[in-house]
Formats: sequence, structure tokens, C-alpha cells
Amino acid sequence: MIELSNIHLRLPSLAGEVHILRGIDFSLDAGAAAALVGPSGSGKSTMMMVLAGLERPSEGTVAVAGQELTAMNEDTLAVFRRDTIGIVFQNFHLVPTMTALENVAMPLEFAGRADAFDMAKDGLAQVGLSHRLTHYPAQLSGGEQQRVALARACAARPRLILADEPTGNLDGDTGTAVMDLLFHMRDELDITLLLITHDPVLAERCGRIVRMADGRIADHGLAPAVAAE
Amino acid sequence: MNGFGADLAIATRLARRELRAGVRGFRIFLACLALGVAAIAGIGSLGTAVREGLRADARKILGGDVAVRLIHRDASPAEQAWLRRNATVSQAADLRAMAYTTGGETGQRSRALVELKGVDGLWPLYGSAAVDGGPAGHDRIAALLAARNGVYGVLVDPVLPIRLGVAIGDRLRIGGQSFEIRGLLTGEPDRGTRLIKLGPRVLVSRAGLDATGLVRTGSLIYFHYRLKLPPGADAAAFASRLKTALPKAGWRVRSLGEASPGARQFLARITLYLTLVGLTALLVGGLGVANGVRAWLDGRIATIATFKCLGASARIVFLTYLIQVLVLAFAGIALGLTAGAILPALLAGAVESILPVTLRLGIYPAPLAVAALFGLLTALAFSLWAIARAREVPPAMLFRQTVSAIEGRPRRIYALATGLLVAALAALAILTAADPFIALIFIGGCAGAFLLFRGMAWLVARAAAGLSDPARAIRRGPNLRLALANIHRPGAPTASVILSLGLGATVLVAIALIQGNLMDQVRRQMPDRAPAFFFIDILPDQVARFDTAVKNTDGVSRATRMPMVRARIARLNGVPAAVAAVHPDARWATRNERGLTYAANLPEGSRLIAGKWWPADYRGPPLVSFDAELARGMGLGVGDTITFNVLGREITATIANLRRIQWRTVGMNFTVIFAPGTLENAPHSHIAAVYARPDSENRLLAAVNGALPNVSGVRVRDALSAAAGLLENIGVALRSTALVTLVAGLLVLAGAIAAGHRRRVYDAVVLKVLGATRWRVLRAFLLEYGLLGLVTAAIAAILGAVVAWAVLTLAMRSPWTFLPATAIGTALLCLAVMLLFGFVGTWQAMRQKPAALLRNE
Repeated sequence: MIELSNIHLRLPSLAGEVHILRGIDFSLDAGAAAALVGPSGSGKSTMMMVLAGLERPSEGTVAVAGQELTAMNEDTLAVFRRDTIGIVFQNFHLVPTMTALENVAMPLEFAGRADAFDMAKDGLAQVGLSHRLTHYPAQLSGGEQQRVALARACAARPRLILADEPTGNLDGDTGTAVMDLLFHMRDELDITLLLITHDPVLAERCGRIVRMADGRIADHGLAPAVAAE
Repeated sequence: MNGFGADLAIATRLARRELRAGVRGFRIFLACLALGVAAIAGIGSLGTAVREGLRADARKILGGDVAVRLIHRDASPAEQAWLRRNATVSQAADLRAMAYTTGGETGQRSRALVELKGVDGLWPLYGSAAVDGGPAGHDRIAALLAARNGVYGVLVDPVLPIRLGVAIGDRLRIGGQSFEIRGLLTGEPDRGTRLIKLGPRVLVSRAGLDATGLVRTGSLIYFHYRLKLPPGADAAAFASRLKTALPKAGWRVRSLGEASPGARQFLARITLYLTLVGLTALLVGGLGVANGVRAWLDGRIATIATFKCLGASARIVFLTYLIQVLVLAFAGIALGLTAGAILPALLAGAVESILPVTLRLGIYPAPLAVAALFGLLTALAFSLWAIARAREVPPAMLFRQTVSAIEGRPRRIYALATGLLVAALAALAILTAADPFIALIFIGGCAGAFLLFRGMAWLVARAAAGLSDPARAIRRGPNLRLALANIHRPGAPTASVILSLGLGATVLVAIALIQGNLMDQVRRQMPDRAPAFFFIDILPDQVARFDTAVKNTDGVSRATRMPMVRARIARLNGVPAAVAAVHPDARWATRNERGLTYAANLPEGSRLIAGKWWPADYRGPPLVSFDAELARGMGLGVGDTITFNVLGREITATIANLRRIQWRTVGMNFTVIFAPGTLENAPHSHIAAVYARPDSENRLLAAVNGALPNVSGVRVRDALSAAAGLLENIGVALRSTALVTLVAGLLVLAGAIAAGHRRRVYDAVVLKVLGATRWRVLRAFLLEYGLLGLVTAAIAAILGAVVAWAVLTLAMRSPWTFLPATAIGTALLCLAVMLLFGFVGTWQAMRQKPAALLRNE
């Protein structure tokens, strides 16, 4: 599902060029889940951006669902993301001027789906928010907002979900509930999942752990519990 | 990839959802646009209402379907016969004369210069006059003016009885005839559109006028013939038939379409200047539009990035925000158009008190459409750049913790489109202007001022950065350090504040200085050098008596007297003046009669710049000395010929030389001076300028009128105060419009302060946490505004003075004096306003409780 090969990313800065990713080779099978862990500044988010086609690597190739991203232009990438990738952010990034229903329907509208709102309603029902369709983000709790974000990420039936610390802004119980939901939807829709987290329990739950340090993959393998099994 | 239609549909839906959040971030945007559009729409609508008023009342203003005017002489019997054969004719004559009270019991006589008009029994041919506040047709007027018991009646302007201390029923003496005041003339349909009157109107019958003995060939009298044509007749065709049938009459013929051309030209000019000032307001408002859109889009970065993460193309993002800006622009324009459309109704009373016209109030689509187009182009030109940059927002921003302002340049196509919109704005200003050349200069000036203020803002920021150099700044204290840092830090509103407020202040300083200079000329400088009186209608056989009367009056320092005959310019190098190629600025000279004189020597106040002056004893073919400025406008030079129609006789003269005339001396200046030997035998009168001490003015007038009752004395002081009054009115209009520019600048300032409010609150809280008192924090912020305001005010004072100098010396050819109090006062006013705004903005920041903010952070 994911194929990263010799990925380097260098960005210019006032203090000189910064080498953020230093030769990443990584692959993940379709339907699998992996946790990206590592200290701040190790390159986790950047790697995720490269995978989402939001950042172009200076070197190397990126393939997602068999498509080579580095060859695509910006608009083609946007369409590819819309159809293939769902993204969940730590800060939810719901559009504040739109209702929960409109937020979830948006990617479907971009795809030109006539049944966008019906699908969005189903999506919100799946995350238990049928009663919050016409609420604006500011009228929802943090957990509810993240559930809307989750519904939005899954609305277009993506094949890959990228989640950047999705529970980072939620309390423990709410975070756990949201993650239950995420894993449930992943199982239901057979989605590949790559998750950035600082939470070891959550990382365990993914089954595979990719540890990053200083722009490289320091360690990559099955989670201990899984390995023990 | 979706097609454009599908993207547009999605973008429209997204825009509609975003707009549900209201116009909170768009108040300044709306206000700036509405203000500028209102100014332009209001001025355009007002101008149209006045023009339509002139058009609708053309028949009344003209006095007939066709109006014919002669000077110095009545129409000959043959000319009158032709007119009567072809139309119904009403005759009138008007002149300036002295009116006296008859003395009463005390024998004390009062006198006043009046504008005397003698009318026949058909006056007014169209419309009705107003007597004692009620309408009066020609029958009633004729009855009131007719002789009763051998005494003619007179109707007078309500001002005259107050000035002379008389009442209805009293007697008034004009020339050699006594009249009975039978009523107050409160309205006169063909009063004309002259803006300055030298005396109150006095209406007598034509027979009564003849009885005064003032009507003599050669006196300065206008003879009017108002013609009523048979129904369905074409006035313009009739006018040209009249000119062809009697080509040598030398009269001025006007048909309906040509009523009040002078007023129309004045109106076009004043509308142009007001529109340009209004356009400045719109351009300054454009900065508010640009700042507003930029700040709004900065606040939408996360949303834009989210759109993109969810698969929106850059085109959808661009269209989404363009649609929102357009919707809000239309709202602002609609507000402005509404205000502009009702402006004429609000100002009708004031305008009608200045201009002799009844406004035709209504909704005029043309000026509103022009204003709307100006508004739309401004909104797009000033927002496209920001929207195009927002299109490029990278979705990866969502993965970064700091979401800051949108930076970078838009794609070349959008930069090009912005350039085209600015060009379209300039083209619209030029194409809709009454004088495209002035509009072009304005556009150039605006572009120059924009660049200058932008450059100055850059310099100020650089200077602030230089002064903030840590090595040196440590000695400057925290207040100044903070103020300097706020001026040059990235994202500081220095450029937009200096630019917007600077432009507004510059316009205000320039207008204040131009008006100040003109008023100074009229009120202070001119009277110092101006004569006390001009005496007109001194007939050749009265010259000796006049000179004696003047010489024998105490307090008279100097008197100059010259012969004068008024004549129309008939041809230029043989080509009829009406069709000759004459620059619009010089056309006025061919429209009406010009004063001619003759002289052996070059008069004072003139400088020869081409050709030679004739010998004092010249007796050859007719030669003239001509005003160099007018000659240029008429394309004439030394050796060319001008033909004048002098009392029905055409005289062709060769231009012997050109003179530069110092008009501002208020002495006797003539555009045309004949060499001796041509005009001496034509019926003419003399005009004299007499310089006297103010305390001897009344004695002088009494002495001259005692000896020569027909001679009228025009008190220069009165004429100058009439001119000053007119200038004041024009100045009020210009200043009011300029204030709109300043208000637009203040809106931009308010927007900049609002945009920086969050940062200011944060700074204030941090400073307070570190132990700074509220006064110390306040001082730091006020210092920042004070520095910015001082720099802006100084630049505005200098640039405004340069603009005023250019307008006065280059365009108006008027002398220039720097009036420091006016310039500095206006600039300091801007500084005070900026400090006030800064104070209000800062005070709100100061009231923020640190704990609340720190908890949220």
C-alpha cells in the first residue's frame, strides 16, 4: 500500500539548508496499521506529509496504492488525496463556518458526488453523531469534533488513513473512545492506517511500530505484544 | 479533474457557507468601499441633478427659444423687423447703474450700485417672475412697472430696501428719472447663471429705462431679444438661419441647447475636481479593502489548507474566496450607491442657494453605474493579489503548529490581472472625466504619491530597524525600543498606515493651501493693491468733469482712465470664430464680448513678449496688441488677423505684438489694445480705476455721482467679497470631499489597529506581567503612533504643499505663498487623530486581564 524508497528532504532556512529526512525506506501492506513514534523533530510529521503528497521529497520515490506521487502535479495530487487518503489531525481542523454535516460532506462534494449529504449523514451516524448534524464545530466538545474529523476522513472511503496524534488534544477516556472508533472503522472498511503518536499503548494497538530519530527510521518491527503472540 | 462549472458550483456552496458567519472581519472593507462609492455616486448624481435642472429650465434661463444679445447698441430697425417677422419678440436691456434715494425730509441721499433691467410687456416670455413671494406673469409685471400719474414703477431685490433704508411706496431715482417702488422682486426666471453679482436687481419697464437717459449708444448696455418660435420650430436651425440672414449684426445668438454654457463648464470643472477627490477617497479606501481581505484570509489559512487536504483544487479555493469578496463588494457598493443617490436631495437647498438652478432630483443610473464600476474595479484590484496568494496556501501548514500570515507572491497571471484591473481603473477615471488631461495628471500624481509614501514607509521601517540595533538600542529605554520594534517588525502595518493616512492628509493639506492662497489673494493681497472703485460708463464728453471730480476729492492717491468699447471676436484669420480651432480653455473669449481699448503706450502691468509696440503717433492700418495666453489658445501669433464686430461694424486688425498680462493686479487690464487711429471715432465710454483711502471712498462716490449721475461706481471691496464668498462655497465643497478621503484613511488606520489588536494585547499583558505600569505600556504604544503620525504628517505637509504649488502656479497661474500655519495645522490635525485612534486601540488592550489571557495561552 505504501512504498517509500530512499526519501530525502532538504529545506532551505536562514541558517542554511536543513536535512529533515535522510534516506527513508519504508513499506506497509494494504490493510495493515503502523504507529510512527519518536521524539519531536525526528521527522514523523514530515514523513506523513510526504506520504500525503503535501511535501515533495528532494530525492526518492513515494508510491501509495500503486500510484507514484512524485510525478503528480498539485491538482492531480489533490484529487488523489480526495479519493484515496483520509487525514486526521491533532487539532481536528474542522471548518468553523460549516456544520458537522457540511464538514463531512465536503470531500464528497469535491468529488462531485450527488449523494454527498446522504453519505455524510451515514458517516456521522457511524461515529454516533446523528444528533449533531447541524451543529457548528464551536458547539461540539473536543471528542465530538474529533469524531466529526474521523467521519470526514473516512467519508470518501479512503484506502489509507494518516492520523497525526489524533488524541493529542483529548483527555484519556475521550481519546480511547475516539481510537476505538478509528480502529473499528479501519476494520470495517479495510483501511490501511499510519498513526503518529506519543502514546505507547496506542502504538502497541497498531501492531507495528516505526521508531524515527534524526530523520531516519531507527527501528521498525512488530509491537512487543504482537511479537509475543 | 472537474470542469470549471462544477468547481464554480462547489465554490459557490462553500462561499455561501462561509458567509453565514457574517461580515465581522469585513466591516472596514465595507465601510471603505461604501464611503468611496458614496462620494463618487453622490458627486455624480448631484452634478447630473444640476445639469438636468439647467436643461429642464433652459427655456426659462434663456428667456425664450432663442436669445439674441447685443452690446452698446440696440438692434437696427431692419434687424428688429427680421426678428419680428419670424418670431414673437420680447425686448430687454440691462446695465449697471446707481440708484439713489430721493432724500426725504432730511435731504440725506443714499446710493447703491444696482443691476438695472428694463423689460417690455412680454417679459417673461416663459415661466414667471416672483413678486413679493408670489408668481407674476408678464401682465402683472407690466402693470406694476407702468407709469401711474407720470411715475414709473420699479420692482427691486429685497436686499435693496434694507441697504438704502426705503420701503415699498417710496421713491428711487435712477439716472434722470424717479421711480416708485411697487414690490419686491423675489424671483427672476432668466436671472442668468452668473455666480457673482455686483449689485441687487432693479426691474423697470423698457419705457422707464429709456426715461432715465442712461441708454446711449456706446454705454455698457446689453440689449436682449428673447424669441418665442412657432410651435414645432427647431430652435437650433432658427439660430443658424438668423446668423446667416444677418451675418454682420455682431450679436450673440443662443438657442435652447446652449443655455448657460458658462455654468455648464463651471459645473463640469467643479464636478471633475470633486470626483477626483472622491476617487482619492476610494483609492485610500482600496488600501482598507486590501488590508481587510489580507487579514481575513490570514485568519482562514487553516480552513484553506483543510479544503486542500480534503481534495479541493487551487481553483476551487480561489473561486470560493473571490465569490465572497465579490458578494461583500456588491454589498458595500450597494450601500455606497444608496447614500450617493440620496445625497442630492440632502444638499439641494445648499446648492440652490449658490447656483441659480432648481435641481431635478431623481435616480440617475449613469453616475450610479460609473460609481459602481469604480467600486467594483477598486475592490477587485485591491483584493485579487491577496486571494491569489491564498490560492497557493500549502495544505502541509496543517501539520505545523504555527499557522502565520499568508506570504509570497501570487502566480504571474494573477499579478498581471491585478495590473490590468489597476489600468482599467485609471482608464475609467480618464474616460469619464470632463477633462481627460487633468484626470491623467491626477492618475500620475496618485501613482507618484503611492510610490512616494510606500518608499517613505520603507525608509521609516529601515530607520526604525537601524535605531533598534541591539548595540545602540539598549540605551534608548524600553518604551522607545518597543515603539521602534513595532514599526519595523515583520507584518507591521507601517506601510499601509503611512500610505493611507498620508494620502488623505496630503489631499487635505493641498486643498487647504490652495483655498488659503486664493482667499489670501482675494481678502488680503488684492485689496492692498486694488483700486477702491471702478467707474464705468464715463462718456467722452464727461471725461473732463470726471477727472476734475476725482482730482478734487481728498484721499485719492491715483486714478487711471481708459477708453473702452466691448466687441465680439468675429473671425480669426478670416475663419468665423464659432468654427475656428480654439482650445477649450480659450473658448470663453469667443463666447461673449471682450473689452477693447486703444493706447499709444504699453500700459503698466503688461510685458511685451513678442512683436513690437507701435509708435505713439501711429496712424496706419488697424493693429492690435493681444494677450499672449489667449493668442496661444486661439493659435494666433504676430502677423495674424482678428476681426472684431464693433457695434455692428467689422474691423479687421493685424496682431502687432503679444503681451503677458498680470491679471492679479486688479488694475485695468485689456486682452485687446488697438493702436491709435481706429477706435477713437466709434461710440464708446471710458472706464476708470481710482485708488483712494478707505475713509474717503464714500466722499469720492458722492463727488462723482454728484457731477455725473449716469456714471456707476463699482466698489472693488464688494466685488472681492462676492468673489471670496464664492470661493468659500467652492472650498467647503472641496474640503468636505477631502474629509471623506481622510475618513477613508482613518478607516484604514482603524482596520490596521484592529488587525494588530491581538498582538498588542499580548504585548501589553507580557509587559504588565514583567512589572510595567499601565502608564509605561501606554507610553510605549503612543510613542509608536506618535512617531508614525509625525512622519506621516511631515510628509503630507510637504507633499500637500508641492501639490498646492503645482495647481496654483502651473494650472491656475496664480501666485503662491506657503502658508505654514495652514499646512502644519492640517498635518498636526492628522497627527492628533492618529494619536487618538492609537490611544483608543491601546486602552482596550490595556484593559485585558493578564490572567485570563495567560490561562488561554
